Amino acid sequence: MSEQALEIKRSSASMWGTKTGLRTKETVSKYIDTTTCIGCKACEAACVEWNDLRTVATHQEGSYQTLPELDAQFWNLIRFNERTTSDGDPMWLMRKDQCMHCAEPGCLAACPAPGAIVQYANGIVDVDPAKCIGCGYCATGCPFDVPKFHKTSGKMSKCTLCVDRVEVGLEPACIKACPTGCLQFGTKEQMVQLGNARVTQLKANGFQDAMLYDPPGVKGTGVVTILGHGHPEWYDLPVDPHVPWGVRLWKQIVRPIGVIAAFATVLGFFVHYTKYGPKEPPA
Amino acid sequence: MTVQHIDTPVIVARDRDNVAVGDEIVRHRLATRLIHWSVALTFFIALVSGMPIWSPIFGWMAYLVGGLEAARLIHPYAGVLFFIASIVQFFHWLPDMHFREDQKGWLSGKALKYMRWERVEESGKYNGGQMLFFWAVCLGAVGFLLSGIPMWFPLQFPVWVREICILIHDITFIAFVLAVIAHIYLGTAAEPGTFRAMTSGTVTRKWARFHHPGWYKEVTGEKK
Repeated sequence: MSEQALEIKRSSASMWGTKTGLRTKETVSKYIDTTTCIGCKACEAACVEWNDLRTVATHQEGSYQTLPELDAQFWNLIRFNERTTSDGDPMWLMRKDQCMHCAEPGCLAACPAPGAIVQYANGIVDVDPAKCIGCGYCATGCPFDVPKFHKTSGKMSKCTLCVDRVEVGLEPACIKACPTGCLQFGTKEQMVQLGNARVTQLKANGFQDAMLYDPPGVKGTGVVTILGHGHPEWYDLPVDPHVPWGVRLWKQIVRPIGVIAAFATVLGFFVHYTKYGPKEPPA
Repeated sequence: MTVQHIDTPVIVARDRDNVAVGDEIVRHRLATRLIHWSVALTFFIALVSGMPIWSPIFGWMAYLVGGLEAARLIHPYAGVLFFIASIVQFFHWLPDMHFREDQKGWLSGKALKYMRWERVEESGKYNGGQMLFFWAVCLGAVGFLLSGIPMWFPLQFPVWVREICILIHDITFIAFVLAVIAHIYLGTAAEPGTFRAMTSGTVTRKWARFHHPGWYKEVTGEKK
């Protein structure tokens, strides 16, 4: 949902003028501590409720997880993973999955529709359905497989980081609903500080591999996640996410070259005509 | 090829390739022209609906088909029609498009020589450059279709397939559009008397003798 009152930092498929507004805004971030998440799914319910999403039919698949993956009508999903430690003890890992609001969003890089994906000055990445053409390029560009196609509207949809709430000074619905405090919201700086402190604490308490997941491959995310056991892949997270090489290659190299080549060829033939003139039989 | 001089009106003669009628020679019979223009028309619909998605610098083209969303909707169907037209064209033109020994070497220097308006070969009905363009169009049509399907139904294919296909679609398009620009230039302004071969279907004897002396000899039996 495009909120016109918020300044835009970056806009898809826009050659210039992607920056609007005069105010500088601090980058915001969610904080997710998987070690204190109890898998209650209050955030899932709050997300569906606040954003007026339709209920998606669920199926018993032998897991507590509501759906196998995110959906156009389900933007916030607790992922449940069961593993066994090297000592043979069971682990039950829960992680809140949603749009990561990358500082360098692959979806925005891939999107061909001007202004359909925007990054606000506060770092929130949002889809404007009025401008979205439903081509699915963003799903190709996203390293986290977040944007989902909504069949009824023909548009892509995903978590907005409750931009409508954040804009008026409220915290996102999921954060508001969390009963354990494992979800926090604030500026990116604050959340990283909080995260580092928590990682230090976890390490001191025997979680040697604890880490703060804020992947540099996408210049950091607007969602910092504490992983108690390290190993992002255990939590269904990519180890080193980045904008896919294919997207960069076609968008930043091949297409500009193509555009220049096309204009150069037209120009070249004008010059050619000027030099050689038409090819006609000798009189 | 048998020599034919026909007294029937030109308009009837235009349905038959390679016949001389008075001062004119039929270069492309009606079927050929219709097939060519169906390929061209479907290509341009695909072009106009594809380029605004390709780069925002061509965003204005979207208005010609009713906006970017309409472009996204129309493009794949136009592409399929283009492919079908290209298939028809392929089989229609195939017999004429076998390279003879003296028609090779266009990519290794002949093309540049040709563009300096030098005589490069005693070509038959089509010179090597035209044949090369024909084969490029056929290859391009296949490349567009194969890479276009995963772009049409992106969610049915894994991400890496989509990435590669978008890249193939892009590179095919760039090569294709450069060739088409050259094709249009040579077919209109650069070589006067050529365009009518694709409209009324005929060219003048003078044109034929100059541009395709080999073909002219075959059709008329005359020495040049």
